[in-house]
Amino acid sequence: MRIGVFICHCGSNIAGTVDCAKVADAAKAFPDVVHAEDTMYACSEPGQQGIIDAIHEKNLTGVVVASCTPRMHEPTFRRAVERAGLNKYMFEMANIREHVSWIGKDKELNTNKAIDLVMMAAEKLRHNAPLMAKKFDINKRVLIIGGGVAGIQAALDCAEGGLEVVLVEKTTSIGGKMAKLDKTFPTVDCSCCILGPKMVDVAQHPNITLYAHAEVEEVNGYIGNFEIRIKQKTTYVDWEKCTGCGLCMEKCPSKKSYDHFNNGVGTTTAINIPFPQAIPKKAKIDAEYCRMFTKGKCGVCAKVCPTGAISFEMTDTEVTENVGAIVAATGYDLFDHAKYPEYGAGKYPDVITSIQYERLMSASGPTSGHIKRPSDGKEPKNVVFIQCVGSRDKSVNRPYCSGFCCMYTAKQAILTKDHIPDSRSFVFYMDIRSPGKDYDEFVRRSIEQYDTQYIRGRVSLIYPQGDKMIVRGADTLAGAQVEVEADLVVLAVGAESAAGAPQLAEKLRISYDSYGFYMESHPKLKPVETNTAGVFLAGACQGPKDIPSSVGQGSAAAAKVLSLFSKDQLESDPQIALVNASRCIGCYKCVETCPFGAVKEEQDRFNNPKARVIETICQGCGVCTVTCPQSAIQLQHFTDNQILAEVKALCPSMMVKN
Amino acid sequence: MKGLEELKDKIHEILPDLDLVIGWEQGYDGLHATPLFIKTPEDVDRLIIGPLCVHNLATYLPGLKDKKVGVIVKGCDSRAVIELLQEKLINKDNVVILGLTCDGVINLTKLGRKIGSLGAVDDVKVEGEKLNVVIGDQQHNIAFSEVKQDKCENCIYPNALVFDHFIGEPVDRVENVGAEHQSLSDFEGKSFDQRFAFWKHEMSRCIRCHACRNACPMCVCRDHCVAMTRNPHWLSQENNVAENWMFQMIHVMHLTGRCVECGECERACPMDIPLMLLRRQMNRGVREVFDYEAGIDAQNRPPLLTFKVEEDNISEREW
Repeated sequence: MRIGVFICHCGSNIAGTVDCAKVADAAKAFPDVVHAEDTMYACSEPGQQGIIDAIHEKNLTGVVVASCTPRMHEPTFRRAVERAGLNKYMFEMANIREHVSWIGKDKELNTNKAIDLVMMAAEKLRHNAPLMAKKFDINKRVLIIGGGVAGIQAALDCAEGGLEVVLVEKTTSIGGKMAKLDKTFPTVDCSCCILGPKMVDVAQHPNITLYAHAEVEEVNGYIGNFEIRIKQKTTYVDWEKCTGCGLCMEKCPSKKSYDHFNNGVGTTTAINIPFPQAIPKKAKIDAEYCRMFTKGKCGVCAKVCPTGAISFEMTDTEVTENVGAIVAATGYDLFDHAKYPEYGAGKYPDVITSIQYERLMSASGPTSGHIKRPSDGKEPKNVVFIQCVGSRDKSVNRPYCSGFCCMYTAKQAILTKDHIPDSRSFVFYMDIRSPGKDYDEFVRRSIEQYDTQYIRGRVSLIYPQGDKMIVRGADTLAGAQVEVEADLVVLAVGAESAAGAPQLAEKLRISYDSYGFYMESHPKLKPVETNTAGVFLAGACQGPKDIPSSVGQGSAAAAKVLSLFSKDQLESDPQIALVNASRCIGCYKCVETCPFGAVKEEQDRFNNPKARVIETICQGCGVCTVTCPQSAIQLQHFTDNQILAEVKALCPSMMVKN
Repeated sequence: MKGLEELKDKIHEILPDLDLVIGWEQGYDGLHATPLFIKTPEDVDRLIIGPLCVHNLATYLPGLKDKKVGVIVKGCDSRAVIELLQEKLINKDNVVILGLTCDGVINLTKLGRKIGSLGAVDDVKVEGEKLNVVIGDQQHNIAFSEVKQDKCENCIYPNALVFDHFIGEPVDRVENVGAEHQSLSDFEGKSFDQRFAFWKHEMSRCIRCHACRNACPMCVCRDHCVAMTRNPHWLSQENNVAENWMFQMIHVMHLTGRCVECGECERACPMDIPLMLLRRQMNRGVREVFDYEAGIDAQNRPPLLTFKVEEDNISEREW
């Protein structure tokens, strides 16, 4: 083999703490290395041309580039090597930036480590073999998980692009958090009025299949060919028959059921349609409150239902859908303020969350849009808003900024004045964060035109006094303690990852951060991709986002799916397991351990038992290769010999020879 | 071990339906037993059982997969049969298991240390707790407990756990339940340097004869053993500490969650390397992490031969 080694400076990123020329010099002494040089930017146009020229001039048969992470530029260099006429798997990358120059300051040690890593890559390359990709067909259907505004946008854009869309929503109606909001900033237009038409479009679009009150149970397969098991949770109402007339809600005697849609502001009936604009507009029985389930008798809804849709015997069912791509748009949940004892830990009825306040202000809410405080139904005159409840607070493990609370608090203060002209609003804040188009102007309007009093400081205690709540806090600009007498306190609770987000991530095999938000493939350049091919992100499941960003990301994810599906076939990754049949003893341990069911039991022509890998199912995880005791099954491009070569390069025998 | 006549009767009864029955016979001298492959009724007369019957006959089963085989097993041997059944390496329909109860078997190395030479033993008799060794006109009376195999010291499975026919009366060893072998704590009492030096010394003695592998009932790769192949090239032919150690570690790792501690590796080792120490240590790890013991229940899945996203005792996530 004739190996060429290229050591990238990455400007000063690597060269700042690694002697690249010395690494190149050392590489010249490695076995089979016939060319080694350092280069300013290996990934640049002249950098790549340098590699290609060297391949031609020196008759190279393999290339090592020592530069950044392969996540960044492995595809770039593989393409360059391919352009020069080599197989793209005759290339190895040593990461001397993230693994060396960025993490150590000692130039000598760094240089030595870089030499070690380059030696490992060169030793592995000596055992590389050309690999060929195969092609397979794509199933041009897309699964979108979550029917909030991001999921709705992604679904509509994909459907408009001619794709068949399967939309799975956990609750009984799409709409998500946006459907609960009264108005939206910075235009103060009615949230449900702008979202409603999109929801109707979803219901009416011929390309969209909606599973509401359903959850993704299992995800199998790979990009282009996923198989999804969806659990259709029981509603005890046959949705084929339900017309959404609402008669059952009128007659249901269990009227004290927790109202999920209104976040516990007011109550609802055990059988209910969450809100008038719900899509699909179908009823569901909440078994926790239904008298038929709790007491064993009632059945009023079944008697009054004009279509006979009620079925108390109904159980969960399962559906399987085959798709080629997945968009996760599972949104967020709100911080539980019970974790703050100083705010009453959820004990005071007149200390409510911002989303509850939205429902109080909403015309479709339990108070028909009249702001009445929960304790006695009185109209509050002094409303105190507290920001950063569960945001920017390490003590509750929420050090991040939720991003949208400053804006919705400004909006809620404006709307309070609109609803109750003689009211006063106070906002306790840490910093005002309003970096969006027309956002800062909006906050100024709240302060200047609507006379909202902003107090920069944290609240240390809320306590009741008579029928008022006393809010005690610091005014750090005045350098004084302040106490505000409030009729109602609204906590601007921050965003956290949706309940069950990590579990779904495991099913999708995508990464998530320590807070449960899904990891994008690259924080700047691949914001809607994940590290699992064919799985994309939209909306707040990736991190807290306001409506415009969520909608933008929904469209971006749809664009990614559409461009993926613009091809009819994809190239399969040849880095998969293969069985050397002459070494296989047919113990089938690999069959037992393969997480994907990719290994099959077969017989050779002498009826000896042999294992065989189904190439299109294998994901190249390597579990089978560590299971096989005689190493008959080998992961291509990561064979035992390749890994042993790397280990031996790194660790010359530590044992004293005897 | 009791019930030789009962056992012989049973073999006569089942032999017509089988290709062969594997047992033990007296070897070339009074001290050694050797495996016996019974194919005719006459062969049955040569059968012996007792403390000399050290061999785990289950080792032969995977190689006789296509034959109908009867096999005589002690408690420890039966665990190997179960493990082979668990891994579907043998077919239960083709195996008839004759289960014994066992009071322990002899460790020739220990006996050798007691009586000097093992070269000319004429006869060995068990008399209660005593072992009577006859060498010419000399007689050695030795406490049996002092020359038992290590595995017999804290044995909790004296009776065959799986059998088609049980010979004799089952005995109890509940007093040993939960006891770990003394060698583990002895070894752990040493410093890191002492332990490293210990294994370096032991591994320098390994001659890579592969007797440990050939005697192991769980080493089923036979001609395809990774220790012999050049592709993948895990081991060179060079005999040095590093390569010997690598070989022994590969053997231990391949036995993870599969080793039934029958002790055949250590017994077969001509260099008396304490190989069971490695296996006991590894089995302790398997017990702690997977709450699992190999070769107890044919329906169980060995923990490393299955795939679970979430292991019960390994908390990788917060939920």
